[in-house]
Amino acid sequence: MNLQINQEQINETYELKLAGEVDAYTAPKLKEVMLPLTEKEGNIVVVDLSGVEYMDSTGLGIFVGALKSSKAYNSSLKLRGMTERVKRIFEITGLTEVMDIESEVKGEAL
Amino acid sequence: MDIQSCVEVRNEWDIVSARQLGRNMAKELGFGNVDQARITTAISELARNIYLYAGRGKICIEPIDQLGRKGLRIVALDNGPGIREIRKVMEDGYTTSGGLGAGLPGVKRLMDEFSIESTVDVGTEISATKWLR
Amino acid sequence: MPAKDALTERYQDLLSVYLKAKTETTLYKGQQFSRKLLEQQISPEDLVSLHIQVMDELFPDMSEEMRDSFDFLLEAMIGYGFAYREHQSLRDKQQQLESEIEVAASMQQTLLLSDVPDFDDLDIGVVSVPAKKMNGDYYNFVKSGNSLSVAVADIIGKGIPAALCMSMIKYAMDSLPDEQMKPHLLLENLNRVVEHNVHSNMFITMFHGVYEPESHKFYYAGAGHEPGFIYNAKEDQFHDLIAKGLVLGVSRTTTYHPYEKEIEIGDMVILLSDGVTECRTNKGFIEREEIVSLIRKYMDLPAQKIVENVFQELDRLQGFELRDDFTLIVLKRLV
Repeated sequence: MNLQINQEQINETYELKLAGEVDAYTAPKLKEVMLPLTEKEGNIVVVDLSGVEYMDSTGLGIFVGALKSSKAYNSSLKLRGMTERVKRIFEITGLTEVMDIESEVKGEAL
Repeated sequence: MDIQSCVEVRNEWDIVSARQLGRNMAKELGFGNVDQARITTAISELARNIYLYAGRGKICIEPIDQLGRKGLRIVALDNGPGIREIRKVMEDGYTTSGGLGAGLPGVKRLMDEFSIESTVDVGTEISATKWLR
Repeated sequence: MPAKDALTERYQDLLSVYLKAKTETTLYKGQQFSRKLLEQQISPEDLVSLHIQVMDELFPDMSEEMRDSFDFLLEAMIGYGFAYREHQSLRDKQQQLESEIEVAASMQQTLLLSDVPDFDDLDIGVVSVPAKKMNGDYYNFVKSGNSLSVAVADIIGKGIPAALCMSMIKYAMDSLPDEQMKPHLLLENLNRVVEHNVHSNMFITMFHGVYEPESHKFYYAGAGHEPGFIYNAKEDQFHDLIAKGLVLGVSRTTTYHPYEKEIEIGDMVILLSDGVTECRTNKGFIEREEIVSLIRKYMDLPAQKIVENVFQELDRLQGFELRDDFTLIVLKRLV
């Protein structure tokens, strides 16, 4: 039920480091931070999910919304550092095929 | 004191002056101590709103007599930004002051009668009355 | 106000008794009295005022400072009075909303009732339980000619928005032409409807399949839905029922892959919503293997008994508190 969002910016690249849970309670907060960043052409939004222990479908919905927005505004959205559990929901829902998702840096087999 | 008295509200000290005026008039009219506190608090909230959102305005307080029934009316006036969504502002749970249960619905419950008129970019007028029991 | 005088008298009695002999009984009576005050909607500041009045009566020689301190307390209490009255108002509002939801929920029940059809060749079992009052899981059986179609969907977002979305799916499906539509094409159709109509943060996962008894083939396709299982009687093995595809509502142009499987006698097709795999026990999330072992435990029973037993066990493991809507469907080929 808690989510920390650390934001860093270098020129047009915005890095969001998330820690905690992305669920129905914390999703609005993430949306508030992430969505506006995708609404500018040329912005690069990188979201680091290595600290995310749990995400539910509401959280996933926020990423779906961000994906649609980035397509509409011509910005780019990348996700990285997902744990196995979180990656699984992106895989089952087919989002790994349409989103820019890097596998965990810690030498996880693809 | 039969005539209306007004206090200009421009800073936080003016809120205190408005409170004082209200309490004195309420005492003079014979309101009990709880009602005095309620009237004073209503004035306080309205004056605070003027101070926070409009920057300046005035609080006018007058004794009223309607067919023998005595009471006190507070009118809060300002030429501030006005309230865009009055309905929302009168809903419980919605507050910008961060206070619990305060705001306009709270003021309405402290008094017996309450009315509000507001036009965006023109100003706001709130009137509230408490009757002597 | 006669009522108030009676209260003042009562308060005075209780307070005097307490001041003379500070017993637990009197304190208890004091609390019961405050309950009465609350019933009569007496605000906190009213109670302080009551106290002042009574103290004035009992101690006419009360010190000036003591008296003043009560006035100060009264002022401070007004804030609590604000909160109290707002609370009352919000409670009323909540009760009203609750009853509206009850009505909506029972309307939904009626609108979305899906009978489990009688189908000679298959033993069908279904359990679908909402976590809250309105069910965000959707399932539908349609008998068309000799075939049986089954759909299972999970609308993302819980509560009312999800339920509204589900109604939309049902009506979209109902308005599709009667002739058997291949599962992957049906999903493509639905995807376009969903994408056009839902909020950007909503999406729907769905599985659709059609069983044809002449060929004993099960045709199916999936849109991001939690994979079910298929039980192969000959091998006595459970396998994941994979049907890859993007969730509905993300992109207008998504296409879906058609899958098919031969179903032998004794084989089972098991479909579920992610409320099943999201079950959390003391040890953490339930693993798919555990679900399989539960099904295996009851698999010789009729299909309806299987799903009910599995649900009961998982419900118990979760302390009877569902985290998400739970849907489990078993189709067993008999002949």
